[in-house]
Amino acid sequence: MNGYVQGDPLLCIGCRTCMIACVVAHEGKRIYEIDPDGYDFHPKLKVVKTWLVSVPVQCKHCENPACQSVCKSEAISRVDGAVVVDREKCIGCKSCADACPFGAVQMVPLGFVANPDGSRRVVANKCDLCRGVEGGPACRRVCPTAALRFVEHDDVRAIVASKRAGTVAMTRPI
Amino acid sequence: MSNGVHEIEDAALLFVFGYNGADSHPIVARRIVRAKQKGATIICCDPRRIETARIADMHLQLRNGSNLALVNSLAQVIIEEGLTDDKFIEEHSSGFEEFKELVRVNYTPERVSAVTQIAPEDIRRAARLYATSGRSMILYGMGVCQFAQAVNVVKGLANLAIMTGNFGRWGVGIGPVRGQNNVQGACDMGALPNSYPGYQNVTVPEIQAKFEKAWGVKLPNKAGIALTQVPHYVLHEPEEKKIRCYYVFGEDPAQSDPDLPEVREALSKIDLVILQDIYMNKTGQYADVLLPSTGWNEHDGVFSCCDRGFQRIRKLVDPPADADVLTDWDIISRISTAMGYPMKYNNTEEIWNEVISLCPGFIGATYEKLEKYGNIQWPCRSADMSDKGTSFLHKDGKFANADGRARFSSIEWQKPTELENDEFPIILSTVREVGHYSVRTMSGNCRLLRNLEDEPGWVQMNPELCSDLGVRHGELVKVLSKRGHCIARCLPTERVKKQAVYMTYQWWIGACNELTIASLDPISNTPEYKYCACRVEKIDDQAWAEQYVLDEYVKIRESMGIDVRGNKRGEAA
Repeated sequence: MNGYVQGDPLLCIGCRTCMIACVVAHEGKRIYEIDPDGYDFHPKLKVVKTWLVSVPVQCKHCENPACQSVCKSEAISRVDGAVVVDREKCIGCKSCADACPFGAVQMVPLGFVANPDGSRRVVANKCDLCRGVEGGPACRRVCPTAALRFVEHDDVRAIVASKRAGTVAMTRPI
Repeated sequence: MSNGVHEIEDAALLFVFGYNGADSHPIVARRIVRAKQKGATIICCDPRRIETARIADMHLQLRNGSNLALVNSLAQVIIEEGLTDDKFIEEHSSGFEEFKELVRVNYTPERVSAVTQIAPEDIRRAARLYATSGRSMILYGMGVCQFAQAVNVVKGLANLAIMTGNFGRWGVGIGPVRGQNNVQGACDMGALPNSYPGYQNVTVPEIQAKFEKAWGVKLPNKAGIALTQVPHYVLHEPEEKKIRCYYVFGEDPAQSDPDLPEVREALSKIDLVILQDIYMNKTGQYADVLLPSTGWNEHDGVFSCCDRGFQRIRKLVDPPADADVLTDWDIISRISTAMGYPMKYNNTEEIWNEVISLCPGFIGATYEKLEKYGNIQWPCRSADMSDKGTSFLHKDGKFANADGRARFSSIEWQKPTELENDEFPIILSTVREVGHYSVRTMSGNCRLLRNLEDEPGWVQMNPELCSDLGVRHGELVKVLSKRGHCIARCLPTERVKKQAVYMTYQWWIGACNELTIASLDPISNTPEYKYCACRVEKIDDQAWAEQYVLDEYVKIRESMGIDVRGNKRGEAA
């Protein structure tokens, strides 16, 4: 089963450190050395703030991903427990962004890859669980209030077990 | 703060008033979150639905500028319902009878509900919770201090803590969570017009004599001029009283002071302006002399935390060899020597030893202890290693007044200075945003923080106000007051009410201090950044406005000597 990163709105203070850590994890340390305007800043998660909630929204790494089903260019695949986008194959059709029920896929312009007409190439951008990054999802590691956690098979089982316990507690003889 | 930051998470109730920890100090906000996890009740008083309000048990979304009306009303309920700690009041305070009389009739929850926009029952419930938790701690911030009636609201909050006996124990008290890093240190070190280091008043002859002896010079016995009074002393005082030289360090009055048009006029009329900072800033554009100094990671020193804790900071990196910068203390020593007072230190420990030797409250906070324990909170009166400082003040109900008693203050609520009117029907309040610190001197030069938010900044508006004006998310709008105008991006958010808009003060282009009013609290001289009248206008030609922002940004950065080649905005998708 794929794991995913989930935020706790009671702990999140909306600081967006996770968004910065995401970019640093994917761009690497070169980000500190190159021209400040020489890289793309596209976090793969987004902190959303409403009246009730502040929490980052990111990919749930679905078992039967809608984004993958609608992708015509086979740019989205499941690799090592993560649903990932291959930017090279992405044709920028936006179907995945439309299909994702969670708003976890965003279309972003690549600043340094131009289309033949000179415009910036737009591709799908989403959480890849920091595949290949040492220590796993960077967002989780930097959160100052430990509001993010990596939810795996056992966690889902525990969540379901506690909900069942609640259901049983409410059950009355018929 | 009367109590340590580390005590926050042990309070049974946190009363958070005009303090937005999540945006101002995420690390302190973490303590608030932990307190919640440990079962604390949280009451949040703020006109906005800030992060603390979200996790609070009660959010009193008071009307901007009604602080003291609400605070006095909470006191009224506590007295009316017999929830006071009479023993504490009797043994450790004075002035309670007079205060009781002040609030009895005029500050009932019913009387103040029109001013505060809070239902009487909510005021009653909050007062009961605060008075009966057993361990209530007040945290307040700039939402209290940045009003023309500020010090008196602090006194009002202290009234609440005194009457319920919430002083002198672990996890209680009243905590001003200060505006800036080391602002506590600046005050501790006497960077105030009226005191030497250690809050020793310049007008007291014995204190004057002590410092004259230590430094071997004659010293004046009159309080100086507050930062925020500088424009007045340049523009409106007679010749003989005028300020002729302005030596600014680690500060950017041309960005952070209210009523920037007036500040600029003052800066251009002063004979000599000297700026000592780590980067160029807006004030630097008026400076005759620039003194580049080292950054926080390029020198040693001592910072004070808002809870009176001294901590050492240590040099991490050498400044670039070709940078031609000096530490602040070296620059001060050289200037002093050049002006005829030889000042020489070999390191910061020598300076620190001089400071603590002259301040009875700091004398035990030696480098040795700072090194060993990491953090020493004043007062620390003995050099003995067993004196590790003081986590909370007023133990056993002993207060700093001559009679050892806490004083109740009986003060009436007063309206803000500039109220909304036909021409400017909306309240403007300046706030913080996480990620950008103070006047952006440091954070504006951090590439990733600039990626997250950049010029011209946002104006937070209620969605209904946005639709009335026909403006959408991200659109550039013009914000105007009697004093000036600026351009910022519209940020619709239901977390703010329709009557007020909010801007952060660090942006060069969306500079909300073009609009703010220089109305000062009579005691602290802090300006009323949290309240002035403004108007928001739609800009029809968005293409022009976008280009204007780009051009202005390049212009300002160029004027500060910043390389603007390849300048482009990050795409906000």
